[in-house]
Amino acid sequence: MRKSPFNTILSGLLIAVMTVWLAVPFGMALLWSLVDPSQAWSYPDILPPKLSFERWSLMWDSTSLPIAMFNSYSLAPMAGVGAVLLAMPTAYAFGRLEFKGKAVWQTLVLVPLIMPGFVTAIFFASLLFSMGFFARYPAILVGHVVMLLPYAVRILSVSFSLVRQDVVNAARDLGASPISVFRVAYLPVLKPGIFAAFLIVFILSIEEFALAFVVGSPDFTTIPTILYSYLGYNFIRPNAAVVALILVVPNVILMLILERLLQSANPAGISGKG
Amino acid sequence: MARLVAEDIAVRFGTFEALRGVDLTAESGSFVTLLGPSGCGKTTLLNVIAGFLQPSRGRLAVDGKDITALPPEARDSAMCFQSYALFPHLSVADNIAFGPRQKRVARDETVRRVDGLVRQLGLVDHAGKLPNALSGGQQQRVALARALAVAPGLVLFDEPLSNLDAKLRDQVRNEIRALQRDVGFTAIYVTHDQAEALALSDMVCLMNKGVIEQKGAPRDIYFRPRTRFVADFIGAANLHRGKLCGGAMSTPLGVLHCCHEDGEDVEICWRPEAARLGGDLSGTVKAVAFQGAHVDVFVSAGPETVRLQVPGELNVSIGDTLQFSVPPEGVIALEASANA
Ligand SMILES: Nc1ncnc2c1ncn2[C@@H]1O[C@H](COP(=O)(O)OP(=O)(O)OP(=O)(O)O)[C@@H](O)[C@H]1O
Ligand SMILES: [Mg+2]
Repeated sequence: MRKSPFNTILSGLLIAVMTVWLAVPFGMALLWSLVDPSQAWSYPDILPPKLSFERWSLMWDSTSLPIAMFNSYSLAPMAGVGAVLLAMPTAYAFGRLEFKGKAVWQTLVLVPLIMPGFVTAIFFASLLFSMGFFARYPAILVGHVVMLLPYAVRILSVSFSLVRQDVVNAARDLGASPISVFRVAYLPVLKPGIFAAFLIVFILSIEEFALAFVVGSPDFTTIPTILYSYLGYNFIRPNAAVVALILVVPNVILMLILERLLQSANPAGISGKG
Repeated sequence: MARLVAEDIAVRFGTFEALRGVDLTAESGSFVTLLGPSGCGKTTLLNVIAGFLQPSRGRLAVDGKDITALPPEARDSAMCFQSYALFPHLSVADNIAFGPRQKRVARDETVRRVDGLVRQLGLVDHAGKLPNALSGGQQQRVALARALAVAPGLVLFDEPLSNLDAKLRDQVRNEIRALQRDVGFTAIYVTHDQAEALALSDMVCLMNKGVIEQKGAPRDIYFRPRTRFVADFIGAANLHRGKLCGGAMSTPLGVLHCCHEDGEDVEICWRPEAARLGGDLSGTVKAVAFQGAHVDVFVSAGPETVRLQVPGELNVSIGDTLQFSVPPEGVIALEASANA
């Protein structure tokens, strides 16, 4: 079949937009991160005069970047696991039970999402302060879990509602214990949702700035707060580029995994009646 | 081996009463079919017996032991689901082996049961496949095998053959019946197919709108239907309504005789095969359908059309006038249905 000119134009447009939107910022960040400290990249040079990994090793050795990375990449999976576990009971109720005011509750659970992060952060910090709780790592962990819980609840509610009652009944009918029922009737259907919820919370926790900044100040760093410190009054573009890339690359990979997970046909979700 | 007694079972969904006081006794080792139109509550009754639904009223007992409050996993029954409800991520063999494994049946016994059922139900080539890779009829047979593999005292079949072609249905139906006789489980079998119900059962329960309208041996149900609903649902029936006086009712076809006490407003029925050729009833032939061994003849007089079954060699054509009679013992008087 011949491609219609309309299609050609459309795909051309798409490529152009993607270039402007993704390739250019990425390319620029990459170039900036490779600028050698000894020779600045300034107008009218189109490319940096000298490329090196100097900035990367500099950042790694001389700043708190390793600590920030450790903080971020250990907080995120724990927040993911925590949010998924805590979301389970609520999601079960939303997905499988009928009760009065269900629709209202479902909306209420999502309300925290429209709250600006800084508002939550400031009040959460003052709450911690007044409770005399000063351990910042667990504080941020709790903060992230609570803040990102709505995403996990939302995703897992849908997963729970996909579990077929007749399959649950069949398992019980054949004498399965509650654990076996969960394994055979729930888990295969929930699995993609659990992964998706975990990844979403993971990514959002890595990128979360407001709470980590407010609760963690002055010296507890995560990747976004360290990035901010390079964007503030001592703005050093190549250093910021290094941190930005460190922040964004794992996220892109995770996003791709997430996309695959959500797309992949879920054999457990398809109905059995032929 | 299980004798099931259900007493006065009622189920309501909101304001809708899906079951309105069902009484049912299934003797140990008997084959009981539930027959009835779509939506009459057959699946609901099975769900109550299996324990998925708590009845709002009534009591269930197996071998004299009250099981009304027992959860499904503690009951000695297995259900073959109308919707199959197979475990989608387990292979056919693992689906079938699931029940025995949960009940901690010895490993070689489990293997023996699975192999036997896979062979009996023609699933040998599919044992390793996932349910989604099977046709509807194959999935249905897996559902059947999975329920039978537990070897329970009571098996609940919810239209287990609805998706099979006529030949396979016959074969699997015979296998079920043979297995039931061998193993001796009590079967509660839901079907839409009245021929199947008559052929298989020790007892047929005809359900209508949440109650059992009539139950009895297949012959009883067929030859002695109590209500119009039963007469109409099982086989074909010719119905007349009118005044019965001196054991006779006058109809547009002529006078029908019946051994029943007189009444002002009586409903009577007779089966097409009860008609004999020659006699004092007559009508015009409206349609003829040759069936091989017999001919279905539709005869009308005035506003009424009746159906007769006459021997296949009889040559009748449309427009003929046909003389026939119905012996009084072939005419059944019906009661008014309790829930029309
Ligand atoms: N969960 C439910 N909520 C509300 N109404 C229900 C529910 N389940 C069943 N019903 C109603 O109860 C009635 C009986 O349903 P049931 O599934 O027992 O019918 P059935 O006899 O099995 O029909 P079929 O032959 O079509 O399978 C139907 O009118 C149905 O709409
Ligand atoms: Mg049904």
